[in-house]
Amino acid sequence: MSRIELTRFPIVKSAVKNRWPQLAVFIVMLAGYLFAILAGLIGTPVGSHNFSIVFVWIAWWAILILVAVPFFGRGWCAVCPIPLPGEWLQRGAVLNPPDKNPKWLNLRWPKALRNIWLQNISFLLLALFSSVLLTTPNVTGIVLAAMLFGAIGLSTVFERRAFCRYLCPVGGFIGLYSQAAPIELRIKDKQVCVTCDGKPCYNGSANGYGCPWDVFPGGLTKNTCCGLCMECIRTCPHDNIAINLRPFSADLAKPSARMDEAFKAFVMLGSAMIYAGVLLGPWSALKDAAYNVGTGAWFIYAAAFLGIIFIIMPSLFAFCISRFENLKSFKKRFATLSTSLIPLGLMFWVAFSLSFVLTNATYILASLSDPLGLGWNLFGTAEAAWQPLLTSILAPAQTLALVGGLVWSARTARKAASEARVSSIPVIAYCFTATLVMLWLLL
Amino acid sequence: MRSRFFLLLFVMAGLVVAFAPLPVRPIAPQERNFRIEARQYAYSPAELEVNSGDTVTVQLVSTDVVHGLYIDGYDISVEADPGQTAALRFTADRSGSFRMRCNVTCGAMHPFMIGKLTVGTNGWLYRSIGLATLAVIGFLPLSSFITQKKKEH
Amino acid sequence: MKRPELLSRILIVAATLGAIGAPLFFWTRTPLIHAQMAEDGGWSPDVIQAEVGKPLHLRLTSDDVLHGFAVGQMQMDAVDIEPGKVTDIELTFDKPGIYTFFCTRWCGVNHWRMRGTIEVSGSDPEPVLSKADGAPLYVSLGLDIDATHDAPVIPETQPSAISGQQLAANLPISQYANPHFYRANSPYQLYENLNSTDLSDSEKWDVVSYIWESNTTPEALASGRQLYAQNCAACHGENGAGDGVFADDLAEAGESSMQNMTGATEMAMQTPVDFTDSKRMLGASPALLQGKILRGGMGTGMPMWGSIFTEEQIWDLIAYLYSFQFIYQGATQ
Repeated sequence: MSRIELTRFPIVKSAVKNRWPQLAVFIVMLAGYLFAILAGLIGTPVGSHNFSIVFVWIAWWAILILVAVPFFGRGWCAVCPIPLPGEWLQRGAVLNPPDKNPKWLNLRWPKALRNIWLQNISFLLLALFSSVLLTTPNVTGIVLAAMLFGAIGLSTVFERRAFCRYLCPVGGFIGLYSQAAPIELRIKDKQVCVTCDGKPCYNGSANGYGCPWDVFPGGLTKNTCCGLCMECIRTCPHDNIAINLRPFSADLAKPSARMDEAFKAFVMLGSAMIYAGVLLGPWSALKDAAYNVGTGAWFIYAAAFLGIIFIIMPSLFAFCISRFENLKSFKKRFATLSTSLIPLGLMFWVAFSLSFVLTNATYILASLSDPLGLGWNLFGTAEAAWQPLLTSILAPAQTLALVGGLVWSARTARKAASEARVSSIPVIAYCFTATLVMLWLLL
Repeated sequence: MRSRFFLLLFVMAGLVVAFAPLPVRPIAPQERNFRIEARQYAYSPAELEVNSGDTVTVQLVSTDVVHGLYIDGYDISVEADPGQTAALRFTADRSGSFRMRCNVTCGAMHPFMIGKLTVGTNGWLYRSIGLATLAVIGFLPLSSFITQKKKEH
Repeated sequence: MKRPELLSRILIVAATLGAIGAPLFFWTRTPLIHAQMAEDGGWSPDVIQAEVGKPLHLRLTSDDVLHGFAVGQMQMDAVDIEPGKVTDIELTFDKPGIYTFFCTRWCGVNHWRMRGTIEVSGSDPEPVLSKADGAPLYVSLGLDIDATHDAPVIPETQPSAISGQQLAANLPISQYANPHFYRANSPYQLYENLNSTDLSDSEKWDVVSYIWESNTTPEALASGRQLYAQNCAACHGENGAGDGVFADDLAEAGESSMQNMTGATEMAMQTPVDFTDSKRMLGASPALLQGKILRGGMGTGMPMWGSIFTEEQIWDLIAYLYSFQFIYQGATQ
């Protein structure tokens, strides 16, 4: 496998090792995040003209799903402001070395919760309320504030970035999809780590903090749990950690066999299809049911949502792959083969988001100049009209994304299946069917 | 060499499916009239079908607040107050599937107030299905060729 | 503490305070008038203070749907209030008093309830010693505007003002073609007055329609037509048949409110009046219609327009209403 070490280049190395570039980005992100909370709470209740809705669900989402995740994996996690106040509190410092006597509880995260099930649930919670969340500024403001204060609270009780690793609804799928990205953080030479004393990359030292993501960098083989915070690169005394450019979906060549991740794949695949149908389709009954939270129709919608994701889609998948004679360790095979759905899910979200973002991107212009709807005109663009962009290329772009995703998933399925010594045809057929449904929903 | 040949074959087939003009059944253009009622947050009817070349008039009747109707691809729109039906008239010279959207902020779910206009055949849907099928069919023997080749070496 | 650490902490605190403080600061210093659908509160604030002669600067925004702003009985173009955006308006009042401002873009079945007041204080620069207007005509005529007013006889076909004009050429109609008669009498009453002539029934109705049209002008009819489209059509229907987009909602509301009402059934919520109903319209004088428009419907969902329309606007509107009954020569039908 060809890899290009990016940290070999001096400019990259110094940007990563020096704490100030990242801190500068952190400060901007934190200010923007706090501003978004304020905007949501006190700005205009009209979503399309409120900074919180426009910059979270249109601008940030577009950059996240179209650029950050496919090309940088956990790149967003590297600059996300949510864990920062809690982490600074935990450490008792921003740049200084860690305190010998930690002030806070620093409990280990409970063993039973060391998985992404909580993240599956938190994502679904947001998804069930998404019609309200995506359109109502004060709901977005409250959710953003809840995540921030939740992260701070968890940091005072548990060690490291407990919120990021085990609770963040976004982090769950970023981690899963980062396996498909062409960037990775890995050690250079395993022997160096074997002879390393104290493992400061995990335990911290005078040079830096131990991994906030509770990962031992020396044993990192997949992107899933590494948040690209670059801390270990600063801490390692042997300069043994690098950021590499690598082929797409290299991690999927060694698929994981975890059920929580398998179900995350179904959560993401299913919710992309449901969002496409409910939000971008012409069926008003679905939209009414999704928006009117608390009514009977909404409960039916929520039940159907969860049923599709937890029962229908996994059962169909299990049915597809159950036709093999070799029924040993079915659970393991189910989990391993469902990793083939990762590229497809990513491209489903890209295709869905393209439509939503291109249609509404012009709101960004107005919102830049008048973020709170108070009548400002900071950059002269407050009167920018709503105008869908590039609608003529949308259908071809979505086709490319979805067919590309199908081919990508088929390749992944092929490798995973050959390792499990079964045919990849059932998984490919499953992916094909899902792609047809998504094409019909979007085009 | 054979694997390269097949790859080329499938790429050519893919290009044909993606870009070749679709067969068009010549249907004489007609005058079409539609009355669409708009409410928070839906059009009724929400799906319109016309033939390519038809002259279409859409009467937009808002039944609660001021709504608009914008057509993707055609980039035309109209807005109507309750009590004042507005008409949008155009020639359906582009074929395919186009979403209709409300372009007057009409409440929370306004960005998702969507309908669908299909002119002639929904070309991209068929092309994309064709490409997906081609990908799956082409992929399997092609990949097995490649793995065969690798095994032989 | 080391300097980089101190600097980083200062930057973080500054950015945090700025990100939180700046929006709060500007928000508290930006008083806006918020427009919401009537069900969610309407205008807030809905009482504004002003002074005679001093320009009143208003900043309005909508919190939900498209609204509009205008002040009743004042010469001004209505201004749209767009959701999420701020509209600036400057008003100057010549006379003290209480002015009504209202929403001018339909924002639901209760759109007409979206009203507020501007209390203009100060001294009147041109005090008027006697009020020329006085009470509305229906009061001085002693009309009961809630009583039924069906015409006993109605035309079989829609009367034509063109035919009426030819027929009226030889008739002494000057007594009828003037506001004093026109406003105080219903078309049916004029029809009765024409019994002294030897015209057939349909010819008499044609003359009535011609006289009705000659009591107005094409400009007035055009103005009435626009007022109707913007203010009445949503309930009364674009073709006057009482089948506007809100007619069903009003009927439903009426049924449910009837269940709570005790006593008089004539207070029940009705569906909007059908102006194509000849019995009702031809038995109504302009003064009667003016009364209904000014005072509103007393629990029927018909708004009171007294503080909104000028007298001229109401006569124009009434003239247009009769055009649902008569075929006028002007290009209004």
